[in-house]
Amino acid sequence: MRRPDPKIVRWGILIALLVAWELVPRMGLLPELFLPRLSKTLTVLWIDLDKYWAALLVTLYEVVLAMVIACGLGIVAGATIGGIAVLRDLLLPVFSSLYAVPIVILYPIFTAWFGIGSQSKVMFAGIYGFFPVMLSTAAGIRTIDPQFLLAARSMGATVTQQITKVIIPASLPTVFGGLRLGGALAIIGVIVAEMLTASAGIGYLVTLNRTILDSPRVFAGILCILVLSVAYDIIARRLERRMVVWQSAGRRQQQASPRPIAQGAPAPAAA
Amino acid sequence: MKRWQIILVRMAILALVLGAWELAPRMGFVNPMLLPPLSEVLAMLKTQIARPVVQEAIMITALEVIVAFIIAVPIGAAAGVAIAEFPYAGAIFKPMLFYVFSIPKSIFLPMFILIFGIGFQQKVAYAAFTTAFVVLMSATAAVESVKSDYILVARSFGATPLQILRRVYVPSMMPVLLETLRISMIFNFTGVMIAEMYASRTGIGHLISNWGENFQMPQLFAGVIMLAVVAIAFNETVRFLEARCSTWRT
Repeated sequence: MRRPDPKIVRWGILIALLVAWELVPRMGLLPELFLPRLSKTLTVLWIDLDKYWAALLVTLYEVVLAMVIACGLGIVAGATIGGIAVLRDLLLPVFSSLYAVPIVILYPIFTAWFGIGSQSKVMFAGIYGFFPVMLSTAAGIRTIDPQFLLAARSMGATVTQQITKVIIPASLPTVFGGLRLGGALAIIGVIVAEMLTASAGIGYLVTLNRTILDSPRVFAGILCILVLSVAYDIIARRLERRMVVWQSAGRRQQQASPRPIAQGAPAPAAA
Repeated sequence: MKRWQIILVRMAILALVLGAWELAPRMGFVNPMLLPPLSEVLAMLKTQIARPVVQEAIMITALEVIVAFIIAVPIGAAAGVAIAEFPYAGAIFKPMLFYVFSIPKSIFLPMFILIFGIGFQQKVAYAAFTTAFVVLMSATAAVESVKSDYILVARSFGATPLQILRRVYVPSMMPVLLETLRISMIFNFTGVMIAEMYASRTGIGHLISNWGENFQMPQLFAGVIMLAVVAIAFNETVRFLEARCSTWRT
């Protein structure tokens, strides 16, 4: 028997999940308080659309700022620490130990320092994304083939030329990988922070509706966040593929797992 | 740099950071209300640890972390091995899991609260849920890290599946397995903390978020230091074991 294409099976599973979301509560297998049916959730979302849209914009604003912190500082720090042998020996193990600390416990400090507005979310999510981005950049920067540098040097390239012609192009895949990871973590960080203590944003909306047990509105918020993070992932991966496509020119396109789950590289956060 | 030099410089950096923490609030560079001096925080840590309320909270949190870990690891590992060993299942589920991985799991907290309430069960269920994904991803990577040549050789010498498991898989996966456990534990701890900070009546995460809300900065910093020390100590212990295990691997 020929097995169906995995892609079709995936869509099938997605559709089955959506149908189950509608049917399971409708048939009374689960109380509507636990899982309001899909149609009801979508109706509520449609009614309160401008409210959700406004909250989503607040969240997006925070995510963008946090991403700038996480990616900007993370990539620069990672490249510096990973690229310079002395710093690498000195600091990299320290940062990997610090990575073990659950950063979410710092959030109360940030709310005490920066208030419950956007600023504390941006700072928290920025720090949340910083460590993994820095560690993965530091790991990636070391994968640059030293032969390239040797070749450039023996042909008389100056230090500036070495940086602009060899190091920067060779580290682009790492940088884009870091950007994607940083953005995903910024989204997670902002959502977590908004759910804990906030006065605006989509995470706040979820928590607010949870405390008044308004399940359809909770699930409408969850749906918004799901769409946001999956859309981000798709866009980021597509951009990444386009930007680094020449990197693999002449080589067979690597397929299977597009995201390396190499050992040593920190896994993305699962909060 | 030599080993002792590295250690010396690291110690110096640590001393610098801790010294700045102590001196900056005392000299008035930062508001001591916002950043209490280190000595004050450490004194507070001592008094807090002596309090029965805090001790009880620590016990509850520790129990939640352990139970969630025990639940999450077998489930995640079984699913991860299945995905790695059956290419068809991998082709279907792997791309999906990447998406699931980038979703903030905390958005499912309200569901866990609706189903389990805000007690012990909800913390365990949520943390196990988030951890299982991490275990799954790492377990897949661990199985795929076993060189297929080794399996081929073992099989051509007539090894039984059990022998292949014991003589090929376990030894070559050992360092990765320890790393898997370490990373999963980090996420597990984070999961319990988020759940406790979100909605809870007990546990150290609940205390921390309470101290933050009441602007009790010495208590808050004491709690953060305590948790950070526990997390780093655990992480370093397992990393030490990892380093020892990987010496006998090719």
